[in-house]
Amino acid sequence: MKNEYTILPFRFDHFNEEEYLLTNDVGEYIFLKNEDFEKFINYELDSKSDLFYDLASKQIATTDKVEDVVNMLATKFRTKKSILRDFTSLHMVVPTLRCNSSCIYCQVKRHESSDHSADMTKKTAKNIVKCIFEGPSPYIKIEFQGGDPSTDFEMVKYIIEEAEWQNLFKKRELGFVICTNLTLLTPEMVKYLKKHKCDISTSLDGPKDLHDTNRPLQDKSLDHHEIFEKNVKMVRDIWGDADCVSALMTTSKYSLGRYKEIIDEYIRLGFNNIFLRSLNPYGFAKEYKDKVSYPIEDFIENFKEGLDYIIEINKNGRFFVEGFAALLLKRILTPFATGFVDLQSPAGVGIAGAIYDYDGSVYVADEGRMLARFKNYYFKLGNVNENTFQEMFNGKQLHEIIENSCNECLPGCADCVFQPYCGADPVRNYSVQGDVVGHRPTNEMCIKTKAILRYLMEKLHEDDPETIKVFWSWIK
Amino acid sequence: MKNLKVPVVELGNGSFQVSVDLNLYAVEAITATSYKYTDCFYVHQQTAPDNEKIVNVILEAKNDGILVTAEIMKQFCNDLIDQQVRVIINEKFGHIRDLIVEAAFKPVNK
Repeated sequence: MKNEYTILPFRFDHFNEEEYLLTNDVGEYIFLKNEDFEKFINYELDSKSDLFYDLASKQIATTDKVEDVVNMLATKFRTKKSILRDFTSLHMVVPTLRCNSSCIYCQVKRHESSDHSADMTKKTAKNIVKCIFEGPSPYIKIEFQGGDPSTDFEMVKYIIEEAEWQNLFKKRELGFVICTNLTLLTPEMVKYLKKHKCDISTSLDGPKDLHDTNRPLQDKSLDHHEIFEKNVKMVRDIWGDADCVSALMTTSKYSLGRYKEIIDEYIRLGFNNIFLRSLNPYGFAKEYKDKVSYPIEDFIENFKEGLDYIIEINKNGRFFVEGFAALLLKRILTPFATGFVDLQSPAGVGIAGAIYDYDGSVYVADEGRMLARFKNYYFKLGNVNENTFQEMFNGKQLHEIIENSCNECLPGCADCVFQPYCGADPVRNYSVQGDVVGHRPTNEMCIKTKAILRYLMEKLHEDDPETIKVFWSWIK
Repeated sequence: MKNLKVPVVELGNGSFQVSVDLNLYAVEAITATSYKYTDCFYVHQQTAPDNEKIVNVILEAKNDGILVTAEIMKQFCNDLIDQQVRVIINEKFGHIRDLIVEAAFKPVNK
């Protein structure tokens, strides 16, 4: 007997031996037993059954007028894609390439602290701020990257004050972030940053021996981890807020097998979140792959163990977030958009974030700048001293990159069950696989993201009330 | 040439062939399935010389890579069914996706 219902667009895959996972464009999901899936697609499912009501509530099928469901799905779809509404809001600025660290996976080809050849000039800084404010977004976040921007703090101050001056007339929602290893920050600098509402983002790779292995200072007589710990305290004391400084970790091959220690170190130092991040294949990390890199499968296993450990920590009463899982869970469990530039569809490169190098060159993403250090300028949009905003942000180059970065129509992504939660990274595809589209079956980012999404889906499917409660607590 | 199980045929030199009926499967389903196997194998698709409604898909091991087996070819056939279901669903209901996207962007297309 054929039942009267309309099947709406959905994607599916085998979840395990007994079940299918179904998702739709707005991120709704449901697990169906094999026999129910077969009945469903053959119109043999009872449209009065609880199972059908579940499918209907997730807009995967309907007995109503299709037009009504289309309008509802369209509203959700628009919300999911709302990141497109405002155009570029994240503007990363590199005041200098100088740095006092010598990280083993450095992606930038840093300059020695005394080498001023890659310092930004005031003319370039002024043109960068002018270019940023020519963009249409009502939100502007200027993020200082490096090198370590604290090595040229005068230029950081100049850009902050120039942007604040411009904003007196432009009236955007303006914010700042400085990415620094903290070691050169003085109380006066921190007071300045607090006054100008410039958040601090830093890097912490784990316990002392690991942090110092991954991120040694150029001056070997200095103890990076000790200075880091002292300055985190100094920043928090001045700010009066433990969350004023956030940290990122990078996994080198020395980090594998040590995620529990790394997480414990974050907690010991008073952080409330961690982003378990694999190595990006750029710069030294690419050049010295054999020394610092590892198979992506090793990272995935470490990530799962780390995530389990963090969930247990939360269950035991300590609120602590794993950032990548939280991002994906927000995509799975809510209709809202998430602003993670590296995993958007279309890709966030150029249209959500862009980076301005010390010489005024503009790249679609930080990784595009890193490729340029190795003489590859594919992702360069232009230069603020030579090109207009329109030429750079509405030019042929950016259009071409974006056209090839919608995972709704990329081979291997278009029919992937995880497509609604995922995104494209044309810069990484280009760097690793030679073109912006990439080859999904061998793509490490694809392998990693799918494995983590599948693991999260397993957790959701287990439906342990305590785990679910932890997940919801992570979604702000 | 050793017949293992119709329509899977071992061609020798580490390669196997499966014949796919175009009366049952769309070319895009065959290609999408083949694409998924390109990580471990060299994949070749060709119309059968004696029957234009049959596509022969040949999988061959990459150098020092995973060996093609009859089991892998059978899994290919199962994956082909999944891919064909996706094609059917998209053919029948894909236009609804177009309506959703059109409705979603209506406010900016006025």
